[in-house]
Amino acid sequence: MVLEATMICIDNSEWMRNGDYSPTRFQAQADAVNLICGAKTQSNPENTVGVLTMAGKGVRVLVTPTSDLGKILACMHGLEIGGEMNLAAGIQVAQLALKHRQNKKQQQRIIVFAGGPVKYDKKVLEMIGKKLKKNSVALDVVNFGEEDEAKAEKLEALVAAVNNNDSSHIVHVPAGSNALSDVLLSTPIFTGDGEGGSGFAAAAAAAAAGGVSGFDFGVDPNLDPELALALRVSMEEERARQEAAAKKAADDSSKQDKEGESTSQDATMSENVGTSASESENKKDDLMDDENALLQQALAMSMDDPAATVTTRDTDMSEAATDDQDLALALQLSVQEGAKDQSGQAEMDKLLADQSFVSSILASLPGVDPNDPSVKDLLASMQNQAEAEQKKDEDKAPKEDDK
Amino acid sequence: MSTESTSAIVRNQVDLLDFIDWTGVECLNQNTSHPFPNAVKQGYREDEGLNLESDADEQLLIYIPFTQVIKLHSIVIKGPEEEGPQTVKLYTNKEHMGFSNVSDFPPSDTLVLSPENLKGKPVILKYVKFQNVRSLTIFIEDNQSGSDITKVQKMILQGTTVETTDMKGLKKIEDH
Repeated sequence: MVLEATMICIDNSEWMRNGDYSPTRFQAQADAVNLICGAKTQSNPENTVGVLTMAGKGVRVLVTPTSDLGKILACMHGLEIGGEMNLAAGIQVAQLALKHRQNKKQQQRIIVFAGGPVKYDKKVLEMIGKKLKKNSVALDVVNFGEEDEAKAEKLEALVAAVNNNDSSHIVHVPAGSNALSDVLLSTPIFTGDGEGGSGFAAAAAAAAAGGVSGFDFGVDPNLDPELALALRVSMEEERARQEAAAKKAADDSSKQDKEGESTSQDATMSENVGTSASESENKKDDLMDDENALLQQALAMSMDDPAATVTTRDTDMSEAATDDQDLALALQLSVQEGAKDQSGQAEMDKLLADQSFVSSILASLPGVDPNDPSVKDLLASMQNQAEAEQKKDEDKAPKEDDK
Repeated sequence: MSTESTSAIVRNQVDLLDFIDWTGVECLNQNTSHPFPNAVKQGYREDEGLNLESDADEQLLIYIPFTQVIKLHSIVIKGPEEEGPQTVKLYTNKEHMGFSNVSDFPPSDTLVLSPENLKGKPVILKYVKFQNVRSLTIFIEDNQSGSDITKVQKMILQGTTVETTDMKGLKKIEDH
């Protein structure tokens, strides 16, 4: 939110007709300029921006520093390409324009787009740089278009001479498929010395990245977080389910020993063993109220499928865990205990059967009301099942004793 | 007026440090690690190690607005023998000057500092020109040895205020 007066120096020399930046160098530059103007005026309403051209018949100021974005954008129309870029004169005129700014409290900044070749030598540019530094003017240079060793070196020297406390930057943009403006969005020219930039720049960056479809599902998390989350979760579930199915087939033989352990009780609260595809779809819809849905799914699973194998426990606890701290703790607890000892399952059953414990967990979950009838029903049925499990265990134990 | 020792405050005059409006103080071409407050603020200026230094070349342009109208009587500039300032031009009531327009109008006073001044001897100014000062611009044009960096160790402005006279500052006249 620095209060700044900026002069943008545009290169409208013959070299800007080239098409190596799409559609032409000049058009790419114009887009970048529009973006910068927008960003500057948005970051602080009192910021002013002015524009001048460096080539053509001579250096010409198109608009003096103003905060009126419309005026700035309008002056970019109907610009003619021709002549040769005069870097030194351009910078000096920009400095003069800034000196006569209306609000003397504004910091002074010049942004130069250097497309054509630079005919001045390093010494001259360094002198200019020193003069800018002396008058506390910051300078940003965008080096694009013509590329030769000397040009890059000269511009680097210029920025080094002006630079005071990292307020001046230089960016080299090579030709390629990326638009000039997109490349600039991530540079300090936009983000402004690590202030965090304006929301404008960040949003524009997100939109640009989304356009390139960098996202898994073609959905921008910024625009629709819930949908993106639902898609991600169902994707992970499906993956986990497939893994589980594979493991299940492998462990079929050892399944007999683990009968009745009802490992799905809480160890598998978050995993998708035995869930059908329809379940995951339901979940997608339900995820709108996160905690409720997850809880219901967990309880439903523990009712439906006691035959899950232990080894599938490991898959993918993260999605549920991220949503709720308590759930995560419970899950971790259950994983540890399950991993320790198979017979530990019985303890877990007892824990769950202990209704007070469960209701205390439920109470701590936000958005879940233990007095809610549906929750109560689930609890009751779960308890019944737990009791049934306990009975089974007890029956088994005496049987073994008998043996 | 009165005879004064090299570093004592002139009788009736007050150190104008308290009347400097710090929000508007600007110093062009200063080295950011050796900024203007080093030379002026209490405590900083007494420290020999803390100087105001110039950056890109040897000139310095210091703009000091005041919180009220003052009369400026004298000025003390202390600096090292070699890199201390030599030619100093003072401009009154000109806002936001730049290096390019220092020659646009004549200064209210031009001082050439001798090594004695650099040790702390105050320079008496043309009092008539500094009767009604709202802001002061100090342009340090060059230094004693012509080196690239000018260093100022301490700067004291002495004078009186116009609207209010600080009674504490008034010293009793002994020999009357």
